[in-house]
Formats: sequence, structure tokens, C-alpha cells
Amino acid sequence: MNLTAWRHLPRDARDTLFLLAVIGWTILPHLLHLPPWCAAMAAAVLAWRARVALTNSALPGRWALVAVLALATGLTLWSERTLLGKEAGVTMLVVLMALKTLELRARRDALVVFFLGFFIVLTHFLYSQSLLVALSMLVSAWGLLTALVLAHMPVGRPPLARAAAMAARTAVLGAPIMLVLFMLFPRIGPLWGIPHDAVGRTGLSGSLRLGGVAEIANDNSIALRLRFFGRVPTPGEMYFRGPVLSSFNGREWTALAPSFPSSLQLAAEMQVSGEPVRYEMTLEPSRLPLLPLLEMTPNRADAVPRIEGWPLRLRADMQWQVERPVSERLRFEATAWPTHRHGPRENVLGLRDFVELPPGANPRTLEWAAALRARPGMADADAGTLVAAVLGHIRSAGFTYTLAPGEYGADAVDEFWLDRKLGFCEHFAVAFVVVMRALDVPSRIVTGYQGTDREPVDGYWIVRQSNAHAWAEYWQAGQGWVRVDPTAAVAPDRVNRGQSLPPVPGFVGGALGTLDPATLARLRDAWELVNNRWNQSVLNYSRGQQFKLLQQLGFAAPSWEDLAYLMVLLLSAASLGGAGWALWDRHRQDPWQRLQWRVQRALLALGVAVLPHHPPRTRAAQVRAQLGDAGEPLALELERLDQQRYAADGGGRPDRRWWPRFRAAASALRRPAA
Amino acid sequence: MAATVLPGAKPAPATPGRPWSPRARFWAWWQQRLPVADRSTLTQRNVYILPTKAGLAFALTLLLMLLASINYQLNLGYLLTFLLAGSGIVSMHLTHGTLRGLTLHLRPAAAVFAGEPVMLEIVIDNPAKARHGLAVHFQDRGTHGPSFAWCDVPALGSETVRLSIVPAARGWHGVPMIVVESCFPLGLFRAWTIWRPAGRVLAWPRPEQPAPPLPASSPQPGERVSSSRAQGTELDGVRAWRRGDGLRQVVWKKVARTGEMVSRETAGSEGRELWLDWSAASVPGQGADIERRLSRLTAWVLAAERAGLAYGLRSPGRQGGLGQGEAHKRATLDNLATWP
Repeated sequence: MNLTAWRHLPRDARDTLFLLAVIGWTILPHLLHLPPWCAAMAAAVLAWRARVALTNSALPGRWALVAVLALATGLTLWSERTLLGKEAGVTMLVVLMALKTLELRARRDALVVFFLGFFIVLTHFLYSQSLLVALSMLVSAWGLLTALVLAHMPVGRPPLARAAAMAARTAVLGAPIMLVLFMLFPRIGPLWGIPHDAVGRTGLSGSLRLGGVAEIANDNSIALRLRFFGRVPTPGEMYFRGPVLSSFNGREWTALAPSFPSSLQLAAEMQVSGEPVRYEMTLEPSRLPLLPLLEMTPNRADAVPRIEGWPLRLRADMQWQVERPVSERLRFEATAWPTHRHGPRENVLGLRDFVELPPGANPRTLEWAAALRARPGMADADAGTLVAAVLGHIRSAGFTYTLAPGEYGADAVDEFWLDRKLGFCEHFAVAFVVVMRALDVPSRIVTGYQGTDREPVDGYWIVRQSNAHAWAEYWQAGQGWVRVDPTAAVAPDRVNRGQSLPPVPGFVGGALGTLDPATLARLRDAWELVNNRWNQSVLNYSRGQQFKLLQQLGFAAPSWEDLAYLMVLLLSAASLGGAGWALWDRHRQDPWQRLQWRVQRALLALGVAVLPHHPPRTRAAQVRAQLGDAGEPLALELERLDQQRYAADGGGRPDRRWWPRFRAAASALRRPAA
Repeated sequence: MAATVLPGAKPAPATPGRPWSPRARFWAWWQQRLPVADRSTLTQRNVYILPTKAGLAFALTLLLMLLASINYQLNLGYLLTFLLAGSGIVSMHLTHGTLRGLTLHLRPAAAVFAGEPVMLEIVIDNPAKARHGLAVHFQDRGTHGPSFAWCDVPALGSETVRLSIVPAARGWHGVPMIVVESCFPLGLFRAWTIWRPAGRVLAWPRPEQPAPPLPASSPQPGERVSSSRAQGTELDGVRAWRRGDGLRQVVWKKVARTGEMVSRETAGSEGRELWLDWSAASVPGQGADIERRLSRLTAWVLAAERAGLAYGLRSPGRQGGLGQGEAHKRATLDNLATWP
């Protein structure tokens, strides 16, 4: 539509189209991760509503809406398998929002749209809080406020720009309140548990299951950022320890469910040597109750991170636990020793938990292991020799590293180890541990992150969700637990360069790939630099920063109460300010009228009584009549004021220089009299 | 401005419910408090503000958003929630500021016949920035109907709003209480003011329908009487237009042709006088019903004026002069309207 047609639209149609555009912009980012039917339905409904507005035809009846809503609910159930949870909730919100536009009859309906809109803006932050999302949602919020203002300007056809300016003015005036609330509103933990969403992405979870996922979506979002003080570890040392999985039920690996009393269970028995690595980690919310620290961060006063409000605990499997899921961005410093030993040096009873395999599962792999044992020299071989043999097999038997291995069946390890030989880190780690256990070597799976981006940005090394990794540990008499990365045997790049292997590019990825990769990487780095600043200053603002702020303001021992007091104090000051403004505003009047009053008072002092409603020229005549020639300058000034007031382009503000001139003329008149 | 109680200004406890419920008492007390003024400047003392239902819904939305932000630990969610909260608080001041400083006054309203709508012109003067989305209506919308007007007032300017009331009976009527309100800009708060205007509206008696024939008129001395000219409508001749000639008397065809204003000269316009007598206006079967008589007299006044007669009112205790024309008609009708 061209601009003239837009200008000549009836006001209602224009307002509706504007609101539809704002709604479209608001739900647009969601369409990327919502089921396709939802995107199609929302687009169709918005287009239909736009057509209704343009042709001024009738809105659909209530039953049609109910039918479409029922269809949408059914589709949500079909695609999300539930109506609860984040994805299903957002899907339903978007559908409701689109359908509500078909019901825009009364103003009440419009208000429902506005409030739904604000809520949808918020739901974007569940997926990303990046600067880009923030900016686009700022536009959305502005658009919604503009539409709200427009709905309350019922007269005529107010220009959109005026409503937008009014909305912006409201928001800008409200910004100080926003800042005070943002900086001082006490940050508390989640009020209730957040339902875990089953997102099939790379990244950590508390368990591991082979074969369920045919293809893994590579999630390039950032898991954590690192800054090193001093030595930077080599890529081969960049192992960030997440959940350790030791119990296998045939399908799923979970954390150890010990079968021994606690006195017989393994202890950490940590021993470090060599040069430590001091680092600062900024951890994105992972929704897991753990910190993926650099291997190995021991339980020592000089090494352990200290985070306000987050008590830490080191498990026996060297996993750092926190007491609740990490749902905010955490920043802390810690020290790690890449050279270390841990676990029992002697063969203890507790190690028997780590050779457990479910009976009957993966029989062919067990046979393969028995055949390996039967090889000459292997019957009495120690763990190290067996590991070397198995890794050699992985290297030589035609295994392929891929992120799209296809689905595996019930005996996934059999299928992987002996038939298809396609998989990524999880497949290699799981199969390796199963084989080791079949060889009676205590072993376990460790998940976490491995590697970083190749170059640091602004001093920060970035670990992405796509750096998520699984490796293995086996127990060796005299040494304890030893890390082994079976994936490295088939894809050494994955570990040595710390690079996750890129997945097969899709359509869009293929188009982007034709750009120069170096330029692309530079662009990404520059963007992430800005984004990191945004993260560190805005998104990372948490309780620790609040208390730091209070300390800077002079609170010796800041507490929650101080935060609340300060917030209430500032807000009270703001409301007093508002009341003060109202009081000042009360005395404000038309500048012409004020001038009229001042002139009247000044003339009264000279003995010329004029009436309030007399225009300046009448007053001038009165001055001439009563004061004669002496009053001539004053009368001239009054006539000048009259010309100004009733000029063709009049109605503006009075000339500021006029009053001083008039006053000077009046006091010149008074002086000879005195 | 002295607060005087006007005739016709009802105490108007408009609230439904028992006559002396606490609410009605409160309203009565409230209205006593309100000064009657012909000009009302809106200040903090007479502009009230409360959140609307939409405002409460907005607060609920913000609460939900805050809960979501806390539970998912979304700093950006906090930022959005607080931005909207800040805008909401600011909108309270802006809504109040939309009314504050305005001055309301009422233009004198022209008299109408009872049962016909009278247009009240309320002038809103604005000494400062432009105001938007003002709604003007009567406080008691049940009695005075849904007359409702939206307006914007330009910066340093004024705007006239028209509301109508229908006076049911003849005589002076007080102007009912007027409410000026606004929800601008966000509709989260409603600011309003209640004004008891000091103006009055005169309602003339309702003319009798169908119009009764005029009573017989008495010819002026030396005037020839012709029955065919009794209605004074026959064209007798033309003369130059004189001040005071009604529009009906103008010979428009001739004016169009020649460009000169010419009036018909009818016999009635010059030489007939008609006394409208109180006693002659009695309606058969209705006895001495004053209102009926007044209705009939009103209809006669209109007919006599239409006929171009010189007429006057003759009634016990009141003797109007003979006359003709718009001013005389109004004076006569005013006289009838204020019949004791």
C-alpha cells in the first residue's frame, strides 16, 4: 500500500492495521521455534483481520472463533503432547493473541489484546535475552503503548506520530522509576519449581539416553564465558565437569545409585600438582543444580568459588553441586589444577558399583568384550592396556563421527558398536564404558563441556552449548580415576582444537556458508563483544551487584531490608516530586493572561484602573487619556503588545522582551512623580 | 461567584436505592459541598482520580509478569515489567494533568419549548498544552439521557462541547451537574470533575397541537376589514425591505431577479392588532387548567407571529404591549413561561 492510500484510510482501519502490524512484529520472533501450523494460523488470522479492516466487512461470529480455538488447542496437544509447559503455553498465547484480534469490537477487547501483547513480549525473554531481542521487544512495547494511547484519543484522526510521541514521553518519564525498581528490587530465587522442558538440543542434562534422538540440533547459544588470570589452559585441558553418570538401566544413564552403605562408598581423595589455573567464569542459567567447573577444581579454601546465596558442595564424583537449579547468571572466580589425581588408589569394594551392567542388555557387545579378553596377553592385562586396545579398535574399525546418526533401537550399544558405527560423543562414551565394564574395568561417563571458541573476544573465552561433550573415566589401580576421551580416537579435531564439529548445514546455513567464513566469524565476534557488555552490565545484574551498589552508597553491611528501604525512599521521593509538579502546574496559566494581570497591576500602581477583560489597545487609550503625553511610551508599548496578540500569526507565546520594556517605561513614569 | 440555589435546581439524589441509604446521604452531602459556579477552574481540589478496571487488569498483568521474571530469573523481564510500571505511574500524573488547569463555563442557552432538546454549549478553555480525549456528560445520566461528547482542546485555545437536555415542563430549569472526565493517555486511570453550573435554561410552554385557530382580531380604527385578508397572507404589494421585516416577508424571487431586498406588504402586517386573552384561551372540557391555557396561548403567539399580526398578551394582572417580530415573540413567550 502506498503512502497516499494509507493517509486516506478511515481512522478505524488505520488504527486496526497499525495494531495488527505491532502484533505481527511482537509474535514474529516466536515463529522460529513454534510449530509450523501455529505460524501459519497466526499469519492467516492476522491477514484475514487486515482484510476485514480494509474492506470494512463483518467480523466472524463467536462460533467460528470457538471452532478455530478448539482446533488450535487440539493442534497444540498434538504437537506438544501437553497444554502445560513453556512451549505449549507460548503456542497457545500466540494463537489466542491472533484470535483475539478477530474479536476487536469493544474497547475492552482491545485492552485484552494490549495486556496479552505485553505478556507475549515477556515470553521472548524465556528464549533469549540478547541485545537484539531486547531492542526488537522495545519496539514492540512502544508500539503497544502507542496503540493504547491511540485508543484513548477518540476525537478526529490523530496522527500516529503524535500518539507515538505521547507513548514515548510516558515511557521516558517512567524510566527513572524503572531504573530505581530494577536496581533495588530484591532479587529472590524462583518461587516454585520450573517445569523442565524436554528440548532436544546439545547441552547438559542430568541423564543420558542413547538412540532416542536421530539428529541433534546444534545450539550455538553461550553456556559460559571464561577469563583467565595468567596461564590459559591448552584446548586439550579445557574439560568442564558436569554430571557424572554411573548407573545404567539398559536404556538410560543416571547419577550413581549406590548399592553400598556410605562408609563403603568412594570418596573424592583429590590430589593436585603442577601449576594452577586461576579463572573467572560467567555461567548462563543452566537450570541444573551444578557448576561445570574446569577440571579439576578441588575443595580448598583458595580454589573454591564463593557466590553470595549459593552454598556449594563437592560430590564424591568430583561434581560441584549447588542446592537449587542455576536460574540466574552467575559470575565467580575459581582455581583449577589440570594435573590431578582422584579416586581410591586401592581396589575397594565401592568400585564394584562401576562395573554393573543390566543383565541381558547388549549381549553381542558383551560377547565382543569376552572375545577381546580371550586374545593372547589380554587375560591378565591391566586397565591401561585394555583401554589402549579398545581405543585402537575405535580408530581402526571404521567408526564415523556425525551429529545425525539416525535412531537406534533397544540394544543401542550393540547396534552402534558392531553394525552402524555412526555416532557422536555420547555414543562413543557410552559404548566405551559398556565395553570396559564388560571387561570388568570400573568406569563411568562424565558429561560436561569440552573446548572453547578458537579466539577470545574482549578477553573472554566462550563455551557454547554445542561444546557439550561426554567422555569417560576408568579406574586404574595406583592412579585412581583416569580420563579417557573415546571420541578423540575417531575425531581428534573435536578434542584437540576444542571445536565442535559443525552439523550438515540446512538451507539457510548453506546460504550463509557462501559468505567468507573469516568475515562471518569477525562479524560474530564483534556482535558478541557488544552482547557481552550487555550481559555483564544488564543481564548479569543480580543480588551480588545490588549489595555491591549499596556498599558503594555507604551501607557497611547491606541487607535485603536496606534494599527495600532505599527503594521505598526513592519511590516516595518520586511521588513527592509528582505531587510537586502538579502543584506547580496548578499555578501555570496562559502566558497572555498572566501578562494581562501584570499589566493591570502595574497600571493600577500608576493610578490607571483598567478592567481585566480590556485588550491592550483599550488600556493604551486609557493611559493616554489619564496620563497624557507622559504616558505616551507606555501606550505605545501597549499597542505593540496588542499588535502581537492579535497578529495574523498570533496565538503563540508573547515576546519575552516585551515585559522588561514595559516595566522600564512604567518605572520611568513613576520616578518624576516620586 | 456567589453560590445561589436556583429555582428548578433539584436536590437530585441520583443514586438508586433507598432514599436515605448511607450512599444517598453521602451524595446529598457531597452535592451540598459542591459550589454552584458559572465558571469552574479545575485544580487539585476538584479533580478526582481513581484507577479504572483496565488499570486494575494492568496491575494484575504486571504482577504476573513480575512473577514470571522472578521464577525464570529474567533480568530483561524485570526491566520490561518495571518500564511498564513506571509508565503506568506516570500515566496517572498525565491523566490528572489532562484535566488540571482547564476552565469550564457555560454559554447562555437559548430558550426552547418544553419537550424539545436545548443545546447547552460548554466552553473549555485551555491555558497550557493540548489536551486529548476529554469526555463531557451529565452526572446523572439516568435522568438526562446518554448525551455524551468527546473533545480535544488545542494548546492555548478553547473548545466548545454541546450537550442537550430536554426540559419536561415550562419555566426555569437549572443545568444538571456536568462531569468532565478523561482516561488519556493509557486508560489506566480515570480523572474526573463534577461541576454544578450556575446557568439556567428557560423552557417556554409546549404549543398546543394541533394548533387552534387564532381568536378574532379587532381591526384598528379606520381600517377596512376583509375576510380574505384575515390571515394576512395575501400579496398586496411590495415595498423596500425595512429593518424588522421577517424572512417570510421577503419576496425572494424578486430579490433574486433584481438584487434588491423587497418585502411583501400585507394588510395584516400593517394594520391588524390581536389581543391574546387569557380568558379566551380556556379549553372546552378542561376548565381552567393553567398549563392548557398557556399551551394554547403559546400556539396563538406562534400563529400570530407567522401571520405577521401585531399581537399582545392580555391576562389578569399582566398586560403586555402590542408588538411584532422575533424580540416581541420571545418576550411574550418568556412571559408565558414564567407564569406564576
